[in-house]
Amino acid sequence: MEEIMARTVSFGVSGVNGFRVNVEVFGIDSMPGLEIIGLPDTSVRESKDRVNAAIINSGREIKPRRITINLAPADMKKEGPSFDLPIAVGFMTVVKALTPDPHIDMDKTAMFGELSLDGSVQPINGALPMVISAKENGMETVILPEKNAREVSCIQGIKILPVHHLKQVIHWLEGKENIPEQEQISFETLKNEAVPVMDMSQIKGQKGARRAVEVAAAGGHNMLMIGVPGSGKTMLARCIPGILPPMSFEESLETTRIHSICGRLPAGSGLMVTRPFCAPHHNASVASLIGGGQDAKPGEVSLAHNGVLFLDELPEFSRGALEALRQPLEDGIVSVARVKRQAQYQSSFMLIAAMNPCPCGYYGSNRRTCRCTPPEIRRYLDRVSGPLLDRIDLQIEVDSVPVNEINDAEPSESSAAVAERVRKAREIQQLRYKGTGKHCNAQLTNTEVGKYCTPDAEGLRLLNMAVDSMHLSMRAYQRILKVARTIADLADEETISSVHIAEAVQYRELDQKYWR
Amino acid sequence: MSRSLTDSRYDCWLASACMPSGMVRKLLLEFGSPEGCYLALQKHEEAVSQIITPRFYRMLSESGREEILQKYGKKLEQHSIRSILYTDPLYPESLKDLSDSPPVLFYQGNLECSGGRALCMVGSRAASYSGQKAARKLAADLGTQGVTIISGMASGIDAAAHQGCMEGKSPTVAVLGCGLDKPYPADNIPLRDEILKNDGLILSEYAPGEKAAGWHFPVRNRIIVGLSRALILMEARIRSGSMTSVNHALEQGKDVFVYPGDPASENFEGNHQLLREGGIYFTSARDILEDMHWLDNPPAVRHNSDCAQEQITRTPEEEKVIKALKPGSLSFEQLLIHTELSPSVLMSTLTILQIRGVIEAMPGKQYKIKQ
Repeated sequence: MEEIMARTVSFGVSGVNGFRVNVEVFGIDSMPGLEIIGLPDTSVRESKDRVNAAIINSGREIKPRRITINLAPADMKKEGPSFDLPIAVGFMTVVKALTPDPHIDMDKTAMFGELSLDGSVQPINGALPMVISAKENGMETVILPEKNAREVSCIQGIKILPVHHLKQVIHWLEGKENIPEQEQISFETLKNEAVPVMDMSQIKGQKGARRAVEVAAAGGHNMLMIGVPGSGKTMLARCIPGILPPMSFEESLETTRIHSICGRLPAGSGLMVTRPFCAPHHNASVASLIGGGQDAKPGEVSLAHNGVLFLDELPEFSRGALEALRQPLEDGIVSVARVKRQAQYQSSFMLIAAMNPCPCGYYGSNRRTCRCTPPEIRRYLDRVSGPLLDRIDLQIEVDSVPVNEINDAEPSESSAAVAERVRKAREIQQLRYKGTGKHCNAQLTNTEVGKYCTPDAEGLRLLNMAVDSMHLSMRAYQRILKVARTIADLADEETISSVHIAEAVQYRELDQKYWR
Repeated sequence: MSRSLTDSRYDCWLASACMPSGMVRKLLLEFGSPEGCYLALQKHEEAVSQIITPRFYRMLSESGREEILQKYGKKLEQHSIRSILYTDPLYPESLKDLSDSPPVLFYQGNLECSGGRALCMVGSRAASYSGQKAARKLAADLGTQGVTIISGMASGIDAAAHQGCMEGKSPTVAVLGCGLDKPYPADNIPLRDEILKNDGLILSEYAPGEKAAGWHFPVRNRIIVGLSRALILMEARIRSGSMTSVNHALEQGKDVFVYPGDPASENFEGNHQLLREGGIYFTSARDILEDMHWLDNPPAVRHNSDCAQEQITRTPEEEKVIKALKPGSLSFEQLLIHTELSPSVLMSTLTILQIRGVIEAMPGKQYKIKQ
């Protein structure tokens, strides 16, 4: 009896990191059959049928043999169809449908991709962490689906061969055909191709809210907008990714990794260059927001990493979902633990929330009369808990703009102009907090507020007067100082003066009117 | 003389059937006291069934048991509720004139504060912000002139009226449509405690343990109106509970003062209808005091702090904002247009003016000059 053994290298994903998987194929002339072992999930087990059809459709014949396929290490769960390609190659070698060119070092060639029955290679999730891991594991070449190539194109120091059909792989392994290498696309090039997000120039009027959005972006502050329906809260929120400072390469890598493993990257896209904007619907479950499921997948808070998490209709979210936001808001990281898996995902985002002032939406509006009773309004507002509010620095009211003003209004300032001021303010902050691990005002703790946010005498006097006459809480006091620091940074002034404090007080007006 | 705890238990029993007041009065005339009624019923005296209908007879005999009396005793003691009969000299004088004055009243607090200069203030539970503000200020101004404000301790205008009156350092009276042990709405329990702390009075014709029912409130309104010399309507739609109070006032021959709210708002449609029909127009506490001939001791000139503040020099920005707000309230966006200031400058100016008490912020990002 003739025995034969083949080995190909592939990668799987656990959490946000890739890990090496050796695909070992063992064939023996015995009762024909095929078994996949090494903790495969259903999609991996079904791989044998896809692989069979794909090989035949690539014009190769299969000699019946008894085949065992082991995915090593055997103690880690293997998921998804990305092992189709390495299994097919190992399988063909064992059934003698393919003889790899001896010049190719199979131990330094990683491959992954889903196979279609006709032999074409389909894109997979998690290509970016896999390629990063392949590079770290000393691979020289990686063969992957064409549609995943752009996503990993900025990884340097590894040869990336994009393929669209199994035939290409067979011919390349036999040394008959060359696969053109994916060219490096620099991060800068990708940035220039960025799809523009909503521009601030599209917002008419709303100068007060625009200013608040600018302050929030400049200091990385979380923000809550209260306003009647149709006042433009969602539009304002959508503008925020466009005025935040551009993502650095590292930030982009972090965010793209998470999107890659969730399969949220559009086909053929490269590294993410615009900050993510996640707007889960208010019936979102705790698991979908925070992360979870059997395999502890990342949730919306992680998808919004380095970007904006927008929660519209804040009080309509379940209490559990809102309370679960507290850990990621505080730590910028979220631990997802399930029976079979546990993972930690980064989740450092700017929370932008929006809500109506009352269940009917028109409390305080001068255009329509509110029909809610005071207890109804209070119950509605009380759904947003104190500890959550505590983590939202800016709370503003957004008034609706009358139609005639929309038409008359002169063109508003564009996002680019605002972004420039935000960038300068952030630079000042980064310089100030160098070496402390912080990078914006929003991250300051109460003790740090005392250290970095001391107003001048006049400012302090004004703040104390405001706290007295407007019945502001101690919590509000700290927030005002933080926001005043950002306002001063925007004005490029080192000392916080009374003007800055006075403006910051306006961003706490809801404390007085709604949550007394 | 207010009644002892033992006597009050019988009052609870008698009131618990919610009989028409005429019937209760006949019983009391016949048997002298609630206790007399109780004993008569226990003995199945013929006279009882001659006075009351079979339905009430059944209700009274079912609850006429010693353990139920004890339960009442416990509730009365726990909530310091006392009762008073209409024959009592301390029974509010003004209620005696009512054709259907409650034969038994339960109360907490200072019974004597209901006499003298008393006005009731009524209005919507879902009142507008401006209506509530106005009610509170008016009640406070009247309170400083020694007027007692009577209302129903509901949310909205009622609550604002009680609070304002207490701010004016005058005791206030709340008449409830349910037992005093469980005030409705429960949200206003802190308000009740505050009223009692400020030497006020909580009244009800319902026995402890009686839950709030929809039909109690219009009936209760006759007591609110009955206790007062005139009625002030703050904010009402045409079809509303406040209008039943107005009807009681008209039946009882009492003046109706109507606050002229925003004619554009549906919330004030009842006010304007009444004004057309001859309601008394007023804009300030002084108007009411004058019409009530209560201006005998003219109010002392108030030395408010505004005089001192006039000396503070205002910045040009502050002047601009004040000038823009003179004709009425404006939203932030409108202010930006009127003052031509930048958003950040306008925000700081608004804060400073708010702190100085010159302007105030209202929900919906509206600002106005503080009166």
